[in-house]
Amino acid sequence: MHGVKRYNHSRELLEQKRQQDKQRIVNYRALTAQTLDARDAQIYTAQSLELTTSLLSTNPEFNTVWNYRRDILEALHPGARPSSEAFPEDELEFTMAQLKRFPKVYWIWNHRVWVLMYFCRDNAAVWRRELAIVDKLLSMDARNYHGWHYRRQVVAQIERIEQRSLDRSELEYVTQVINRNISNYSAWHQRVQLVTRLFQFKELPAEEMHTLLRGEVDYITNALYTDADDQSVWFYIKWFITNDVVKTTLPSDEYAKMLRGLRDNVVLINEDDVEFSGSDNNWCLKMLIVIEGALKDAGVESNAEYSKVAAEYLNKLITADPDRMNRYKHLLGSE
Amino acid sequence: MLSPERRTSMAERRPSFANFAGSHNQIDTMMIPHLAGIEDPLPESTPETVDVLIAGTGLVESVLAAALAWQGSNVLHVDCNDYYGDSSATLTVDQIKLWVNRVNSNSIPSYSNAKLYVSTSIGSDRRYASRDFGIDLSPKILFAKSDLLSILVKSRVHQYLEFQPLSSFHTFENDCFEKLTNTKQDIFTDQNLSLMTKRNLMRFLKFVLNWEQMPDVWGPYRDKSITQFLFDKFKLDKPQVFELVFSIGLCSNIETKVPLALQRIRRYLTSFDVYGPFPVLYSKYGGAGEVSQGFCRSAAVAGATYKLNEKIYSYNPTTQVATFSDGSKVTVTEKVIVSPTQAPEGSQHIPEQKYQVNRMACLVEKDCNEWFTEGESASVVVFPPGSLKSGNKEVVQTLILGAGSDCCPQGTSIWYLSTIEKGSRAEMDLDAALEALEASLLRESSTEITQNDDIVQISDDGRPIINSVRLGQSFKEYMPRESIQHLMKLSYTQFTSTPPFDVVNPALFDNDALNNRANSDRKFIPNASDNGVLYTAMPSSEISYDEVVTAAKVLYEKIVGSDDDFFDVDFEDEENEMQNGPGPVPNNISYENAIDDDDEDADMGMQGDDSAEFVGKMEI
Repeated sequence: MHGVKRYNHSRELLEQKRQQDKQRIVNYRALTAQTLDARDAQIYTAQSLELTTSLLSTNPEFNTVWNYRRDILEALHPGARPSSEAFPEDELEFTMAQLKRFPKVYWIWNHRVWVLMYFCRDNAAVWRRELAIVDKLLSMDARNYHGWHYRRQVVAQIERIEQRSLDRSELEYVTQVINRNISNYSAWHQRVQLVTRLFQFKELPAEEMHTLLRGEVDYITNALYTDADDQSVWFYIKWFITNDVVKTTLPSDEYAKMLRGLRDNVVLINEDDVEFSGSDNNWCLKMLIVIEGALKDAGVESNAEYSKVAAEYLNKLITADPDRMNRYKHLLGSE
Repeated sequence: MLSPERRTSMAERRPSFANFAGSHNQIDTMMIPHLAGIEDPLPESTPETVDVLIAGTGLVESVLAAALAWQGSNVLHVDCNDYYGDSSATLTVDQIKLWVNRVNSNSIPSYSNAKLYVSTSIGSDRRYASRDFGIDLSPKILFAKSDLLSILVKSRVHQYLEFQPLSSFHTFENDCFEKLTNTKQDIFTDQNLSLMTKRNLMRFLKFVLNWEQMPDVWGPYRDKSITQFLFDKFKLDKPQVFELVFSIGLCSNIETKVPLALQRIRRYLTSFDVYGPFPVLYSKYGGAGEVSQGFCRSAAVAGATYKLNEKIYSYNPTTQVATFSDGSKVTVTEKVIVSPTQAPEGSQHIPEQKYQVNRMACLVEKDCNEWFTEGESASVVVFPPGSLKSGNKEVVQTLILGAGSDCCPQGTSIWYLSTIEKGSRAEMDLDAALEALEASLLRESSTEITQNDDIVQISDDGRPIINSVRLGQSFKEYMPRESIQHLMKLSYTQFTSTPPFDVVNPALFDNDALNNRANSDRKFIPNASDNGVLYTAMPSSEISYDEVVTAAKVLYEKIVGSDDDFFDVDFEDEENEMQNGPGPVPNNISYENAIDDDDEDADMGMQGDDSAEFVGKMEI
């Protein structure tokens, strides 16, 4: 039977790998010793840079060696002023090669930022190029939060140099990404950042902000109906209805109307789930409690009303979500 | 050349010495093996004894030949035609003419009622040459997640072929063609769907990906029709139901039973995003014909002998000697496999073929680019039951190929239409579908005239002036487009023993005619020329390649005893990964982690999209 054949083949391969690994471990330990010795002796030369290159190519998470590498770079390029024309192309190539192999290692990202800040901090063209690189990366993997964090850093630099805010175009970008796939926590998170900033720095006239938020309500309702099991959508909705941006921008009657509208939709969705599968949608139940709380805080509902409704949903949750039973019981107790 | 001017072969298109310096692409340095009757001459003689004799180089037979040859069997593979492919062949216009004559003189079993019109624009010294066109007798599309694709990769036959993506599926409803909404992105961004429809549709899509694990949902509807199931349980509306059943599921009518339909719908969805944003591929230069040829080449490399122009005359199961019509003989120690189209005179054992497929192939003098997604040259258009003027009870499925598929020259396209409807009703349905396609194309052209600003201008006092000279010119250009020029129109009926759309699930095979066929090779009818012969099934109405591997495997098992080592090949540097993941990115055992080889950190490297984030559920 060919199944058996394959398995043996693989076991042989593993044995082979073990033997090769033994040698690699010896080599690795030697390289580490050599590099750290050089660091202790404060040797900052092109050769010691090479040492760190080899070591970091094998183990990019070795932060000590990244620090050593930065010391070497500083020593080799002393006084590289932020506005200098010296372009660290080699260094950027190195980090890019590493990122392609390990796109989720913090230290590589940090090093790239450090290189850019050290060598070309005020060069707008360089940061624009970085933005294009992040665009490409996010188009291949839209959920890599390292990518999104890096994007924020890059955008911040561009904004600093060009003295203007990119929030509006960033909002358009993040909308495109979410449209492609609403199950993207990082993208929704970015949206939170942007909406908050637009408000905080008063980047939009009041009327426009108002329109934007009304549009948001439709947007999240659409997302809700498209996938009521997606936690990133729920988290965004929770932020949206309880944060200050919305509460301050929308007049109180509109805010209350929005909450009630949302509540109706959530109830509808939950009933639909009950009809189809026989059980409640836990997200719906939790959100209903949040909505009630928001209505209470807005002064639209009494404390008594809130407690009654919240208790009802918490009891439902105890049966529907037994894994978190004790939490719900605890919440019930503190009502 | 054997046949009237044949099409260029893959080996001729891709010279084997294309070996560029620094080329890292394996394909450039690979040699396409030569095949007797194409690049190599036909053998003078054939072996005296073989294990298996196969007559007919259609899809199933070619896959079988390659599987047997690689397993070590001594195979003689013959075909009575002077071309490869048999019922799946890709033919030039001249070859089609000859084929039609043979069908109408009853020389090709399983086909009848062939009609042909060829315009005078095709011919030597005319605008188009006969060999500029490659017409498939059995047009097919390949799902990205399918057993044939796995076999193509495993056997490396894919290296003898070129595939292009096809993402354009259209449903014809209310006289217009709608593009599908079948991804979460489509559904989310669609302004025309109500919120509840979005929810219902998404719920169904999530369900269908895992439907077998949820019998409590579909169990009660096991014997009901899929349309009823979708209306009742998922509360979907007719447009969504028809799209799911007929364009995504490619089912034939509204009575299709639930389990079968769910399987077919899922096939489409799981094929989406395997290699890119498309579910299906088609083969350039000619579909099934190229694929059959590819497997024949592979079989030849593995040692099979090929001979065209060789027709089986009789087989004697006692002496195990097969005789050909040219008098030559061969002893066959294991089995004789014959396609019904190659059956000898006096055959008595051809299985009953009570189902039929009616097909039409049109060569049209229009490029049809408006129907293709950018970068692609093909699309599928489905006419659901009741959508045509003829009131069709069965679906009409059409496949449109543009010049980019290299099956036809620039400015032309090939339209394939098929239906399982019978007789004159079938003709009416196919003609109605053809008319609908033409009408739609004409509508697209006619809008051009109204957008011509030079014709209507506004004078100084606000009155519109018609520039009559310009208008006249435009009409001159416009007039010829009022009718679509047919360069060729071919229609025929093909018979088969495979029930329509009864594919995909191998377990279904046990219940149907195949068992009867198996028994028939033990029945002895005196004076029959084909006692002891095992017949293959003719292609069915199925537009995908789905039935092919199953059929080949069943035959393989009958010959070899079990299908465990069916294509169990291991070409030198072949990796063991192909079963599960998407194609070209191999999942090498990682040598990077030198510290601890149990530590399988899936985050190393850019392979796959395993985000560590706990976001949402499965992708649609």
